[in-house]
Amino acid sequence: MSSAPSAESMRENDAGTSILARQRLNRPVAPHLMIYKAQITWYLSGLNRITGCLLSGGFYVFGALYLVAPYIGWHLETAVLAAAFAKWPAVLKVGAKVLVALPFTFHSFNGVRHLTWDTASLIDNKKVVQTGWTVVGLTVVSAVLLAFL
Amino acid sequence: MALRLASRRLALASAAAPAPRIFARGMASVLEHTKGEPLSTVSEALSSSTAPTPPSKTTTIKEPEPEKSSKIKTFHIYRWNPDEPSSKPKMQSYTLDLNKTGPMMLDALIRIKNEVDPTLTFRRSCREGICGSCAMNIDGVNTLACLCRIPTETTKESRIYPLPHTYVVKDLVPDLTQFYKQYKSIKPYLQRSTPPPDGREYRQSHEDRRKLDGLYECILCACCSTSCPSYWWNQEEYLGPAVLLQSYRWIADSRDEKTEQRKDALNNSMTLYRCHTILNCSRTCPKGLNPALAIAEIKKSLAFA
Repeated sequence: MSSAPSAESMRENDAGTSILARQRLNRPVAPHLMIYKAQITWYLSGLNRITGCLLSGGFYVFGALYLVAPYIGWHLETAVLAAAFAKWPAVLKVGAKVLVALPFTFHSFNGVRHLTWDTASLIDNKKVVQTGWTVVGLTVVSAVLLAFL
Repeated sequence: MALRLASRRLALASAAAPAPRIFARGMASVLEHTKGEPLSTVSEALSSSTAPTPPSKTTTIKEPEPEKSSKIKTFHIYRWNPDEPSSKPKMQSYTLDLNKTGPMMLDALIRIKNEVDPTLTFRRSCREGICGSCAMNIDGVNTLACLCRIPTETTKESRIYPLPHTYVVKDLVPDLTQFYKQYKSIKPYLQRSTPPPDGREYRQSHEDRRKLDGLYECILCACCSTSCPSYWWNQEEYLGPAVLLQSYRWIADSRDEKTEQRKDALNNSMTLYRCHTILNCSRTCPKGLNPALAIAEIKKSLAFA
């Protein structure tokens, strides 16, 4: 429908763009992360990404170490890990389990929330806040339950 | 992103011995002005990771006519003067008697400009939330200053910043050139080649017209796009919620015949799919619109062809 820009308008465009580029050299960028109000929307989204990186990163690191372990004299088999862990004091055991479970439970429940958004449902301000706090509650409760298993 | 741009600049600069092809790879973009040389490879802004000079280190300009029964509230406002480009942005403090000021934030800004500090610069026009000029970040939230009531607790101090992660022209005035170019790029007009059946108007049923409700009311204030962290990091190539809402407005219009072309224009990794459903956009829209829902509908229509 609209044709490619003519030679004159492209030259005008370039002139305009180069003026803008020169202006931007001196202009500051308005503050963003540091000043934006803490809201459940972007906090949970950021947390989803961070827990995702922690979980997959941890998984890759452990997998790689497990493969390499025989060649560097380490023992990372389940039986060895379980025996070592069993010697820890009870408080530390439960504490460590909660810390490890939290990223997993949060990412799982928030993942379900993300999948419902992909169907274009529950996307309105009230529902987003309600489901957000529900996910936070479920995360903490299930992490503590898993820690006491 | 900075690393990509830096290495791309290196690749394009060394024409004699070209760097590996991966550094010179073009970025997916439907914007004509970014094809070839993206704007940010020719210019760099002062980093905003250094915060503006805090209010504790700047002066406080007081209420011009204080009285005993006055309700004095403090405002901290972002200031930067392009006439002194090397000076750092700072937070200037002002105190105002709320009894003498109108109820909205814009009233406070206008009063400061009229009676206290005429150098304070900001955009405004209709003062009723329909033009979109006075969009700014007030107390951490993007909204229209003319629709934002001043919280009357005088113990709390209000902070006013320009729209986040925009280039600042002066004080609270953002550079929205890129935003408008992105809006133009989605062809926000009816595209139709077949004439109307009765030869008079392009008719539309009530049902079809209802599909445009919640889409046509957008005033292009840019509050939503500048609240989106994904738009902060990918402004060059990601269109942002406002422009995507408008592109859905045209996709959903029954009278438009270029639906497939409109959807094809969005079918790459950056233009639409940098949206990660962060949902800051719908939360902040001062007109109560829901860009996130429109974007979800576009993604659905692209997924199920």
